[in-house]
Amino acid sequence: MALLEVTGLTVRFGGLTAVSQLDFAVEEGALVALIGPNGAGKTTAFNVITGVYAPTEGSVRFAGDEIGGARPHAICARGIARTFQNIRLFRALSALENVRAALQGAHRNGARDMLRGPGWGARERSAEDEARQLLEELGLGAFASARADSLPYGEQRRLEIARAIATRPRLLLLDEPAAGMNPAEKQALRALVADLRRAHRLTIVLIDHDVSFVMNLSERVAVLDHGEKIADGAPEDVRRDPRVIEAYLGSESEAHA
Amino acid sequence: MSGASLARIGALLLALAALQWLAPLALNPYYVTILARIGIAITAAVSLQLVNGFTGQFSIGHAGFMALGAYSSAAFSVYLGAAVLDSLGGGGLVRLVYFPFPLICGGLVAALAGLVVAVPALRLRGDYLAIATLGAGEIIRIAILNIDAVGGARGFSLASSAYPSVDLRFDSLAGVYGVAVLTIAAIARLVYSGGGLAFRAVREDEIAAESLGVPTTRVKVEAFLVSSFFAGVAGALFAHTEGYIHTNSFSFVRSFELVAFVVLGGLGSLSGAVLAATVLTALPEVLRGLGEWRMILYSLLLITTMIVRPQGLLGQRELLPLPWSAHRGARRAGRGAA
Ligand SMILES: Nc1ncnc2c1ncn2[C@@H]1O[C@H](COP(=O)(O)OP(=O)(O)O)[C@@H](O)[C@H]1O
Ligand SMILES: [Mg+2]
Repeated sequence: MALLEVTGLTVRFGGLTAVSQLDFAVEEGALVALIGPNGAGKTTAFNVITGVYAPTEGSVRFAGDEIGGARPHAICARGIARTFQNIRLFRALSALENVRAALQGAHRNGARDMLRGPGWGARERSAEDEARQLLEELGLGAFASARADSLPYGEQRRLEIARAIATRPRLLLLDEPAAGMNPAEKQALRALVADLRRAHRLTIVLIDHDVSFVMNLSERVAVLDHGEKIADGAPEDVRRDPRVIEAYLGSESEAHA
Repeated sequence: MSGASLARIGALLLALAALQWLAPLALNPYYVTILARIGIAITAAVSLQLVNGFTGQFSIGHAGFMALGAYSSAAFSVYLGAAVLDSLGGGGLVRLVYFPFPLICGGLVAALAGLVVAVPALRLRGDYLAIATLGAGEIIRIAILNIDAVGGARGFSLASSAYPSVDLRFDSLAGVYGVAVLTIAAIARLVYSGGGLAFRAVREDEIAAESLGVPTTRVKVEAFLVSSFFAGVAGALFAHTEGYIHTNSFSFVRSFELVAFVVLGGLGSLSGAVLAATVLTALPEVLRGLGEWRMILYSLLLITTMIVRPQGLLGQRELLPLPWSAHRGARRAGRGAA
């Protein structure tokens, strides 16, 4: 059984069909790339998998359970975490607080923390340690107490990844993590993703609009165009696929850029 | 309990005792009344800061919750407390033990209303939420205005016709500031802890918070619940220090004044709310000599401050490291363990 199984997914915004009859499955432990020109529906697919939008039609199953239409926080609790294409950090909070806010044990008490019952101190301490460790792991240790929006761009992207991993996901969805990076940074990011995948035993779906970025990273590439899946397979095959080439020729960016 | 926190509590009790006994000796009664109003303004401002400054939900109907706290606690005292105090003799100690009860009653009634308002209103965002809370505040005020048992349009005196000799007023500065400190401590302990991080995450980015596992609706409802509880307590304090209340004191003008406290102090700063509530409550009294120019100058000062410091006096910083803040606590504890 696949860890994530999207079947017949359609998402409409008014008259616009952003995703159309999408079938997409991800096996446990896989790293799958989801590519396609701008406006193809990639982010929308993530938004439905993570509960930001409900499917118009179709189903989303995670670890065997239907999650289509569930609230995002409930989906996160089941083990799906994500980053955002347009960075959505908690800007005025420190890098450390960004990660701490995502630790599931740390915020569960809500307003009851006002009373600071037994175990409060120990809970705070272990949350802080865990968050610091994650920051170190992502090479952000030096930024722990800096405001999130004061971090350099690349570090902000990594902080988003740290925050997503803090939720202890089984499935990590990365939405254009390499956007705006130069080739050297992209190379470093590829290495980081591979490391994190191993260290945290993650299943990963990674969006990029460029097939060359995911070439040596993922075993499988799925291509969306105008909301429809037009290819799904090994990167070399997908790259040669005439429909994929055509989709990319029709837009500004090129598949083999 | 550590030595440091015992020392802090000792110092606080000393300060409250000094306020209680020295202020009436040193100041004329009018200034004592102003001091009490400042303490109540602080309590209300800090409670609103939880919703507006720390959870990022813009509520502008807070006076409604104060009104509920004021009227329910007053009714509690007039219809129940008077009889109790009469039968117990109404000595100093008895009064001290009695007065927390109407305050808690006012807080609970306001919290219940906060819940009733929050659940539908929090489906709305931004401007729409603001207007809904404004409407809710006015509905509460007008509803109270039409209840004869609490005086209706005549206002409500804290005097029982059955027990005319029982004094239901509680004009103790120590009491007012004790409650203010408790409120600050409670909200600070909440927002500067792991649980409070969820509130601040909702303020920063609701979609990100939700997708990282923060149940944002529950967080917002909790913020309203806690906030309206303390607003109700502030209203109850107001009723019992003034001895007479009228719904005019709880109109949207009062709500806007509270919003001015949290915005001018800095959204997301407890000390900012305390500072602004103090300055803006004292200022009209300080300017009283100016006659009709008073409110114009007051408004000009507000406008100038917001132009010069759009983030408010303190932004999101705290004036002094709050002894209740999680960071310090956690780090200190961490060092102790290491
Ligand atoms: N909330 C929304 N409301 C209306 N249209 C939307 C919304 N989100 C996305 N779209 C539209 O859906 C299409 C797919 O967008 P998106 O999923 O962001 O594409 P991609 O991530 O592949 O670039 C675009 O035409 C976009 O304008
Ligand atoms: Mg996108």
